[in-house]
Formats: sequence, C-alpha cells, structure tokens
Amino acid sequence: MVIGHWSFSLWLLSPELALLLAGLLILGLDAIHPHQEKKRWLPYVALAGLTGSLIATITLWGCNTRVLSVLFCDPFALVVKMIALVAMGIVVLASDAYIRTRSQHQDLPPVGRTEGGQGEFYALLLFSALAICLLGGATNMIMIFLALDFLSITSYILTGYLRDDRRSTEAAIKIFLYGATLSAMMLYGMSWFYGLTGSTDLNGIAAALRETENTMRPIILPALIFVMAGFAFKIGAVPFHQWAPDVYEGAPTPVTAFLSVGPMIGGFAVILRVLLTALPMDLVNLAMDWRTLLMAIATLTMTVGNLVALWQQNIKRLLAYSSIAQAGYMLIGVVAASPRGVTATLLYLIAYVLSNLGAFAAVIAFSNHTGSDAIEDYAGLSRRAPTLALALIICLLSLGGIPPTAGFIGKLYLFSAAIEKGLLWLAVVGVINSVISLAYYWKIIRAMYIAPPRTEETLRTSSTLTVALGVTVAGVLIVGAFPGPLLALIQAAARTFFG
Amino acid sequence: MNFPILSATLFAPLVGALLIIVIPQEDVKTIRRIGTAFAFLTLILTTILWASVAQAGADEMQYSERYPWIPAFNIWYSLGIDGLSAPMFFLTALLTTLSLFYSAHTIETRVKEYYLLFLLLETGMLGVFLALDLVLFYVFWGIGLVPTFLLIGVWGGERREYTAIKSFLYILVGSVAMLLAILGVYFQTRTFEILEAAVAKPFAGNFTWASAAFWAFFVAFAIKISCFPFHTWLPDAHTEAPTAGSVIMAGISLKLGAYGLIRIALPLFPEPFHYFVVDVPIIPVMAIISIVYGALVCMAQWDLKRLVAYSSIAHMGYVTLGVCAAAAGIKELGTPEVLNAAASGLNGAAMQMFTHGIITGGMFFLVGIIYERAHTRDLKAFGGLATQTPYYYGITVVTGFALLGLPGLAGFWSEFFVFRGTVGFIPVAAFIGVLGVVFTAACVLWKIVQHLFLGTLDQERWGNLPDMEWWERVTMWPLVLIMVFLGFYPTPLLDSFNSAITALLQALP
Repeated sequence: MVIGHWSFSLWLLSPELALLLAGLLILGLDAIHPHQEKKRWLPYVALAGLTGSLIATITLWGCNTRVLSVLFCDPFALVVKMIALVAMGIVVLASDAYIRTRSQHQDLPPVGRTEGGQGEFYALLLFSALAICLLGGATNMIMIFLALDFLSITSYILTGYLRDDRRSTEAAIKIFLYGATLSAMMLYGMSWFYGLTGSTDLNGIAAALRETENTMRPIILPALIFVMAGFAFKIGAVPFHQWAPDVYEGAPTPVTAFLSVGPMIGGFAVILRVLLTALPMDLVNLAMDWRTLLMAIATLTMTVGNLVALWQQNIKRLLAYSSIAQAGYMLIGVVAASPRGVTATLLYLIAYVLSNLGAFAAVIAFSNHTGSDAIEDYAGLSRRAPTLALALIICLLSLGGIPPTAGFIGKLYLFSAAIEKGLLWLAVVGVINSVISLAYYWKIIRAMYIAPPRTEETLRTSSTLTVALGVTVAGVLIVGAFPGPLLALIQAAARTFFG
Repeated sequence: MNFPILSATLFAPLVGALLIIVIPQEDVKTIRRIGTAFAFLTLILTTILWASVAQAGADEMQYSERYPWIPAFNIWYSLGIDGLSAPMFFLTALLTTLSLFYSAHTIETRVKEYYLLFLLLETGMLGVFLALDLVLFYVFWGIGLVPTFLLIGVWGGERREYTAIKSFLYILVGSVAMLLAILGVYFQTRTFEILEAAVAKPFAGNFTWASAAFWAFFVAFAIKISCFPFHTWLPDAHTEAPTAGSVIMAGISLKLGAYGLIRIALPLFPEPFHYFVVDVPIIPVMAIISIVYGALVCMAQWDLKRLVAYSSIAHMGYVTLGVCAAAAGIKELGTPEVLNAAASGLNGAAMQMFTHGIITGGMFFLVGIIYERAHTRDLKAFGGLATQTPYYYGITVVTGFALLGLPGLAGFWSEFFVFRGTVGFIPVAAFIGVLGVVFTAACVLWKIVQHLFLGTLDQERWGNLPDMEWWERVTMWPLVLIMVFLGFYPTPLLDSFNSAITALLQALP
C-alpha cells in the first residue's frame, strides 16, 4: 500500500522529476567534458528535459489529486506547468547563441567560471522551471515560500552570470537585496496566517477563517499585505517594481528574457491559487475584500509602468516598464475573481509570454550582432534585417493589443471579465493604458521602419534564435487567429477554483 | 456547402501579400505585377459579387458565412453582403487596384514593404464591410490601422513621422472606446452578432447606459469620419500621406466610420441616436459645423492637397447629416412619407460614401500627378496650366465639378438626397448645410480652376511641364467614367443602397 501510494505520487511528480534529472545530467556532462565544442549539445539536453517534462505534464491531464500533502495536481497546476515549460524552452533557444559567444570570445565578459560555465546556465534554467512547476501546484504556504525562494535564488545567480561585467553584478546585488527583504516580509505574513488559523494549508486557512470570530478578521489585512508584497515582487507590481528596470538592463539579455516571464508565471500562479483558495469569494464579504487592494495595485501598476516607459531610450529598460504594465493588465483578471477573470489572466499570461519572449529573442539577436540595446540603434532595422524587424513588430503589436494577435484576444478577455463584474472603470483604465503603451511601442516601430539606417550592414540571426522567433511569432498569430482550442484548456484550468 | 466566395475575396489580397513576402526585394517588377494582379483579381470578384447581390435581392444578407470562431465567448466568424456593403466592397477594391497601378509608376523606394502593407490594408478594409460579428468587425477595423500609418510614416511628406503617430493614437482612442462598448453590448444581449444585437436593442430601457454605449460607438466612428470636433487629425494625415495613401484614406478609410454609423450605431441604438438628433441636437450641429467650417477652411487653403483634405471634412458632414435625417424619423417609420424621407436621407449618406470615394480619390490622384511634376502644391505658384496641360485640365475640371455637386455628375445625387431627407425633419440644418455646397463651389472654381488653370502661364517655370502620362490617364479614366455615368444614371447604385436601407429601416422599430 505504502509503496503503491508512493509510486503513484512519484508519477504525479514526473514533470518536476524530469526537470531535476535533466538539470543534474547537464551539470554532470558539463563537469565531464572539459572541451567547449562538446558543450554545444548542452542546450539540446535542456530542451530534451523540458520536452520530457512537457510530455509528462500532458499525460497527467485530467488528474485532480493531492500530491504529498503540499501540492496539488489539478488542471490549473498542469496548465501553469505547460506555460512554464514552453516558455523556458523558448528561453533556452534564445540563450544558445548569446551564451556560446560569451563563453568563447575573450574580449567579451566571460560567463560564470573562466573556463566555461554553459552547463550551470542551462541547469539553473531547468531548476527555475522546476520551481515554477512547483509553484503551479503548491497549496501550502510553506511549499509556496520554498518554491518562490527557490525561484528567487536561481534568478539571483542567473542575473549575475556575467561574472566580470559590473552592471550584471550590480543587478544581481539589487535583485538579491530586494528579493531577500520581500521574501522575509512574505514569510512574516505567512506566520500571521498560521497564527490566525493554525494552518499553513490554503484550504485549511479558508476553513479556519470561516469559523474565526469577527474580532480576528481585521488582522487578515496586514497579513495579506505582507504576503502580497512577496508576490508583487515576483510579478513586478507597483510599489515593488523598482528592481525591474535596473535588473533588466544589467542582466545578460537571455536572463532578462527569463526574468520577464519566469517569475511572472510563478507569481500569477500563486496569486490566483492563494487568493482564490485561501480567501475565496464566499469569504470576501465575510473576512476581507482583497479586491479593493488589488484594484489599486492594478491601476497603479498599469499606469506607472506605461507612463515611465514613455521616456526610455534603452530597449531593455523599455521592455522592463512594459512588463510592469503588462502585470497590471493581468491583475484585472484576478480582481474580477470569476471563471472568466481567471481564464483571462491565464490567456493573457500566455499571450504575454509569447510576445515578450519573441520581443526579447529579437533584442538578443540584435545585441548579439551589434552589442547595443539603444533604441536609436534600431534605426533602419527593417532594411538591415527585414524578417527580424517583422517578428519584432508583430510581438510589439501583440503587447499593445492590436488585432489579430494573441495580445488582442487576451485584452478582450481581460476587459470583458472586468465589465462582467461591473468594473467598467477598471476596463477604461486598461484601454487608456493600452493606447499609451502603443506610443512607446511605436517608438521602436518608428526606429525600425521609418528612421534611415546608419549602416547598410545586414544582420544575421543564429539558427536557434530564428527557431525561437519563429515559434513565438507563430504562437502570437495562431493564438490571435484561432484561440479556441487553447481557451478550452484554460477554461478547464479556471474551473479548478470554481467547483 | 457552397464555395465561400466572400472569404475568398476577402483574403485574396492577403494571399498576394504572403506571395510578395517570398519574392526578393530587388525584384521590384514582379512585386508590382503580383501586387496589382491580386488587387485586380479582388476587383473582379467584388464586381461579380455586387452584380449578383443586386440581382438576387440587395435587401438581405447574401453569401453568408458563419463559423464558430471563439465558441467559448460566442464569437463568430460571420460574414455577409447586402446592397449597402456591396458597393463599398467594390469601391475598396477599385481604389486599391488603381492605387497600386498608379504606385507601380511612382513609388520607387521600399517597393516590397509598400505593396505588402497596401494589400494587408485592403483585407482589413474589405473585412469591415463584410463582418457581421462585432468582434470580427473590430479585428478588421484594427488590422488596417498599423499599415495605414506606416504608409504615412515611411512614404509620406516632410512631417510624416509626427503625423503618423498623431493620427494613429487619435484613431486608436476611438477604437478602444468602441471595444468597451462592444463588450457592453455583449453582456446586455449575450451576442456579438450585429443583426441579432440590432433586434435585441442593447440597454433598451436604460437610457443612460444606452447613451454611453452609443457615444462610445459614435465617437469611434466620428473620429474615423473626421466629423467636427474630431477632425483635427485628418488634414495632416491626408496631406502628408503618399498619393495612393491619401486616396485610400479619403476614399475608403473615412467610409469605414460612416458605414459603422449606418450598420451599427443606428440599428443598435435608435433611441439615443434619435434623442441626440432631435431632442438635444448635438449630432446635427456637429454635422453642420463640419460642412460649413470644412468648406470655409477649404476655401482658405493655398496648399492644393490640404484643400482637398478639408473638402473631405465638409463632404463627410453630408454623410453624418443624412444619417441624422434617418435617426430623426425613426419614431414614425410606419408612416410611408416618413419612411421615404428617412430612407432618402440615408440613401444620400450612402451614396455620398460611394461618390465621395470616387471623386476625392480622383482628386488626390490629380494632386499627386501635379505634385510629381511641379514638386509644389502651392496654388499661388501656378496659373495658366489650361494651355500647357489641356488633358490634365479637362480631367481635373470634371472631377472638380463632381466635387462641387454639379448636376449631371455623381456628386449631385448624393447631396440632393441628403438634403431631400433632411429638409423634412431638420429644415434649419438643411438650409445651413446648403451653404457648404456654395462654399465648396466657390472653392473649386476660385482656387482650383482659377489659380491652377486660368491666368497667365509662368513660361519660365512651367513651360516644360508635361501633360498626363498614359498610366495617369488609365488611373483617372475609370473614376471619371463612373462620375459621369452615375451623374446621368444613378439608378444601379441607388437601387442597391435603397433596398438594403429600406430593409434596415423597416427592421428598426
């Protein structure tokens, strides 16, 4: 019986185990092979691990059980895992050329250890994927804390990966100080929840809160604010967003790509899970209405992110503020706290992940060749690299919500979720922000298509980056034109929280 | 299942665009040929469609296609064509074909991107006229935005960058307001189908919300139509755009808004529309100001292209006024005389959409033709061209007279029907509106005819100015022929519009 139970649990953990094994395998291979040439296979090992994990996730579709008392294997968790695995696959593809050139050329700041360090990079990416997968299913505060911190630690190391590059190191220290502080705050808040309810399990907390006396309820607000601070850090929501621009700019660009999606997926997974399980709608009126708090955060995050983005001259910083704003849009779906709202958040998350990774793949391709991230250097890109410019414009228009892209369908769903719940004003804030955002996306489009090129030199994109661009752009257009199948999947995930 | 002829027509330009992607950009000739060929193919298809729609009964949707697009949200890929959309559908294909043909001889830089964007834009515009689902309508509406403003931004005049972003954001603001209203309609009626929503009358009984939703749609359309006070983007955009871009923007883009007014705003929100036309006459006032102000400012211009741009504001004012007449009569459509007058106003508006597309499209071509040669559009610099370029003189005078609404040319009928419809309901508006006709006539005669063609020729500057080339004649002749044909025999166009519009009005109460 016990053995049977354990083996069953292990099977449910197969996506995570596949990632763990692949990560360890990469570390081993990296140690065994001293020669750089042999290491060009490492990213493919990472991709194989991610694919294996994705297949395992797909075969688990339909199960809805508790795993090891701190995790759940339900449709929501599985969809989050799928998003995370695809996203990390794209990150690996987008990293290959960058990491290889950095570890082979002496004139560029080396990656990790002097003699290489490619292996650790991919292993850390796989471990980050593992952390996000765990976050997708975590239903216990302790597990959530551990997985979030796991994700944070891999992020810190990856951010400082260019060992001799001062900006990379500075960014790593920044994100570390910020993250560690907010982690501590979050843990403190979790301890309040435990003190209030005697439970760390989300369902247990909800059950205990239903029976708690009125006098205890006001304490939930500060506890929730502490916990939310940790989550807000992950998604880069205002007022915990200040780390993003500097870190985005300083980190190696593939890491920036990862930072823009990985923590976002994990963060929204826990935000949805914690709020809708521990403080579900029937408790909202009884205990506390967290929607007001989130509405304020959403409004601020959208507006601040978009307004500050208008002044950016560096494309990585611009995309940092844009990501902040995007997190604000996604919070609209959380605020709606309805099946449509969760569907909208997940759909937009997918649209965002595809579009943003596509944009970053283009930025990596550009900086691999030119070494620059300044928007003015993108002048005339449409003539120097027509395909690259086309890919980037499609991704930017998707981020801006222009049809027929994934971003448009996502925004349609988000705004409809708000309007359905009578939050027209929030939808109005959202659309005004979408218009503002197009003003700065246009800045990049203008540079690429309208400004004259400074050199006629054509740009070449490495094959892995081309695949990454192809996958993301195809994803953006396919989700935009035929969102039906994906929506069916997501709606199943959203039903997890609504009986 | 029947052959999906509407989808085939709609996506023919897109197929052309995809083909152009794979052609190397150095092979300019092939790109031009393929681009023009696909536009021409679309033109043939739209012509056949209009003819068969007219034959089979223009009062109801023909060749309908309806497939679930996003079933989870009740969004349908729903297309249809009737007597109202068929002529506009044809006009879109006609002007695009002429534009691409003309551009083949005038656009030399970045030809591949130009044709790509143009064909993408055509699919977007065609889709707006076919879409019967509000989300689909919005998607096609949005598809055209980026190509339009890239056309201005890349191939436009001196202030192209500023103009491109200004008009892009301006139109976008209107569009997102419409998006919210579309969602509002859905949660009221649980459908995105335009025809179903028109039956369900969203927010009926809640006047505040109905007005809010109505204004969201109306502002989106008014910005596109460039109705006063939402007109400020138009003069810049139409002046800075490359010739073919101006032709398409003035000829078709403006009409997308007008079409939305007739297809969506009027049937979905008859109550608020009526209220803001009759009880609180904001909309007729906007229309009148557009007409009179547009015509006056038009008269004050010395830049030929800006002059034509302002004349568009005035002429689109007639469209708004015609729709106002229909909205004013909406409560008593049971009475045959009222129905007749309302239909007359709406017919005038629809005919104005078509004829203005032909005439102003032609005007912008003519402006482009002179600018290509003289490199200036300053009217003060010209004079006496009648003897130097007689062919150009003849064509321009016919187009100009059509623009001022001379009887015997196409422009006359649309204005006639607009005023015939308006005079019964809002006589004051009709009387002030007629002033616009006078000003436009003065403008055309004084500014265009006198300053361009009469007077003495500056031999030194314009002594070698060549007359129209063969491709310019080929571009202009179809438009001139349509102007003259419709001027003497507007019946085919009128019948097509009238049957659809009468059906639309009868379904209203």
